[in-house]
Amino acid sequence: MTATQNRGGQSDEQAGLPPSVIASVKDLRVHFKSKAGTVHAVDGVDFDIHDGETLGLVGETGCGKSVTARSFLQLVPSPPALPTQGSIIYRPRDGAPIDLTSIDRERLGEIRGNRIAMIFQDPGKALNPALSIRNQLVEVFLIHRTDEVLQRAGISLDESGAGSTMLRRAAGLRSRRIEKIALGMPGLREKRNAIIAASNELVEAALFDTQIPNPANVMDRYPHELSGGMKQRVMIAQALACNPDLLIADEPTTALDVTVQARIIELIKELQVRRKTSVLYISHDLSLVRRVCDRIAVMYAGRIAEIGPADQIFHDPQHPYTRGLLAAIPSSESKRGQLDAIEGSVPELINPAPGCRFASRCRHATDICRTQNPELHVLDGTREVACFIHHNGDAPNPPSFAEATDKRAAE
Amino acid sequence: MNQNGSTPSPSSEEPLLSVRDVKKHFPIRDGVMQRVTGQVRAVDGVSFDLMRGSTLGLVGESGCGKTTLGRLVAGLTDPTEGGVYFDGGRVDELQGDARRTYRRNCQMVFQDSFSSLNPRHLVKDLVGRPLKVYKEASGTELTERVVDLLESVGLGRQHLYRYPHQFSGGQRQRISIARALALDPAMVVLDEPTSALDVSVQAQILNLLHDLQTDRGLTFLFITHDLSVVRHMAENIVVMYLGRVAESGGAESLFQQPLHPYSHALLQASPDVVGDGAGFKGLEGTVPDPARPPSGCRFHTRCAHATPNCGWEVDDVVRQLEDVPKVFDELVGVERSSAFDAELRFDNPAAAQGLATALGGMTIPNAMSAAMEPVVVKDSSVRVRFHEVPDVELTTRGPGREVACVLENFDPEKNGNPSASSAAP
Repeated sequence: MTATQNRGGQSDEQAGLPPSVIASVKDLRVHFKSKAGTVHAVDGVDFDIHDGETLGLVGETGCGKSVTARSFLQLVPSPPALPTQGSIIYRPRDGAPIDLTSIDRERLGEIRGNRIAMIFQDPGKALNPALSIRNQLVEVFLIHRTDEVLQRAGISLDESGAGSTMLRRAAGLRSRRIEKIALGMPGLREKRNAIIAASNELVEAALFDTQIPNPANVMDRYPHELSGGMKQRVMIAQALACNPDLLIADEPTTALDVTVQARIIELIKELQVRRKTSVLYISHDLSLVRRVCDRIAVMYAGRIAEIGPADQIFHDPQHPYTRGLLAAIPSSESKRGQLDAIEGSVPELINPAPGCRFASRCRHATDICRTQNPELHVLDGTREVACFIHHNGDAPNPPSFAEATDKRAAE
Repeated sequence: MNQNGSTPSPSSEEPLLSVRDVKKHFPIRDGVMQRVTGQVRAVDGVSFDLMRGSTLGLVGESGCGKTTLGRLVAGLTDPTEGGVYFDGGRVDELQGDARRTYRRNCQMVFQDSFSSLNPRHLVKDLVGRPLKVYKEASGTELTERVVDLLESVGLGRQHLYRYPHQFSGGQRQRISIARALALDPAMVVLDEPTSALDVSVQAQILNLLHDLQTDRGLTFLFITHDLSVVRHMAENIVVMYLGRVAESGGAESLFQQPLHPYSHALLQASPDVVGDGAGFKGLEGTVPDPARPPSGCRFHTRCAHATPNCGWEVDDVVRQLEDVPKVFDELVGVERSSAFDAELRFDNPAAAQGLATALGGMTIPNAMSAAMEPVVVKDSSVRVRFHEVPDVELTTRGPGREVACVLENFDPEKNGNPSASSAAP
């Protein structure tokens, strides 16, 4: 115990995490090797996820948001990815902070699906078509909640002896072949059946929690028999089965109809509040993120452009890219044919030139934008913006955003 | 037959294209003999007019038949019943030259530019193909025409000799648009042209489409599920649900005051159109099976404002109770005399009684209970009967507005209360 505390103290100092931060991404860089050169998909991303908050990660296709999210669980295949640089510090509710980018597979296995869970974009692809819903979920409980399953099954945990270890392994899906035969024998068979019954109860409860009607019936079905919304609920049940500290939702409603989307969002929100889970919500849809998130990080071409409270980002965006994104959404006021589109397209991320990545499409770009990389700077206490308009290099009195934009617009 | 479909129609009141009660049913085949065992009613009686130079938005959830309707209009499939009339002629009956003329006058842009552009063809061939097929141009002239087209969509000569994979999603959609415009068509069917694109690129494409429409006097049929886009682009909107029109009318008036509960729900679900969407919980349940669409109003199974007159039927018993455990476990047979009257036979009287109890329970919406005649339990069978209700027809409400809803005055604020709503006729 003391050892843990010591280790905890040490790493805490190392990481320098404030207590309210559950995960902290520091200077994350994920590069990919390709024939044409090195693709800088994620290139120096920094953000913190606070305990119990929902952080939205917004950006266009190819801006690196999914790669960032997948780096949390080492899900980026390598090769083609080069070794991840930077760190993702995760602080479990009870224990020492861990750097997720350098952790070994065994410890990662304890965290993945257990302390940090993920919901993917397309539930049709993320669920295994060959397993019934019951079997998709049972795994999570048996692997990560072995003790709870055994307790429910009425099998004492303190029992020693060959039988007990065997059962424990069976409950954790780690049986050896010979043990599987042994478990079929009378005596052990009853206990094995008790374990199955107990895990089924847990599955049913998990499905019920995601508002799936008649979970007992759904458990025996296969993914193709369920509608898209229902499949997404199953995936949410799977992700939340172990009460994770952090839930990563990668475009969870993009494949669904708007009317179903509203229900799924409500569900995620409700479960999050009830279980006090922190959520990293990834989406390309700004208006959707506004409904779900406390804070929003806007990503562009592998970097964070702006990060801050959702309301501020929406009502008073300070980065030209965020402004452009918001203006591009057709609204009742926008005149037909005069949508304020951002010119051009996302730049190549193969060996990118120095400077602000948005400079080529930015109306307010100056020379400094093309040569130097803007760092995130704190603006009015709560949010950070990476733009030279706010932090004009060495200039003594940088003009405000409004001044700068008005002046340049006038020119 | 008129060359180039150019019947002189000086009056702007004359629609360019009329869709009249068009139906498209797909047969469901089953068994070794592949006998037809049912029909998927993808489009089931839709009518609208498309005015010259205007944009009509076609909105609905996935599976509501909007894409099938687009394909019907473009002449890519023939309707089962009804017809699409272009300049007075029925599209599916056009032969020879007339059909070619229609084809060149009605072009289509598809959602997925990956699959609608041949990866083995150069841009020059892709965009020049229609000109070649219709023998409009060849040689240098063809190349020049293609360059003109590319320039009109914001691309240029440097893109002529590239393959589709060398372009971004937005650029590929521009190529699709250039190809659609090659033969100077009168109308273009746009099937979700921006759904696969990011908002900033979407804005570019929407601006482009608008410019092209003003320059060339194009007529658009804009199919999308995105209400903010359709509000921005279209003068008139048709909201579809399960193969039928739920509501149609002018874009602004429809967005200001939706008269059908379904349009209202769609608007609520799309946060950037109305407020921040807070408080809307989404719609109950899923879209019913289009092979067995509900009677009466097709939306009544999911409608928060349903009344006893909305067409409750025997199938609703199953729809409402299928998620209640054990109710139908011992069902042995169903004898239906009509959609509204059936006898459900069970294994034993207890199970029959169980259904009767469930029908009086909390899971049944009030409106449905009100539409149901008292349940008769006889031994182990239950007879369920509902008041027969005709299909809900589109009725005119105000200028240019048509709504298929039994509620005369739909008030979104008021939640459906069957006892207070209009009594059975």
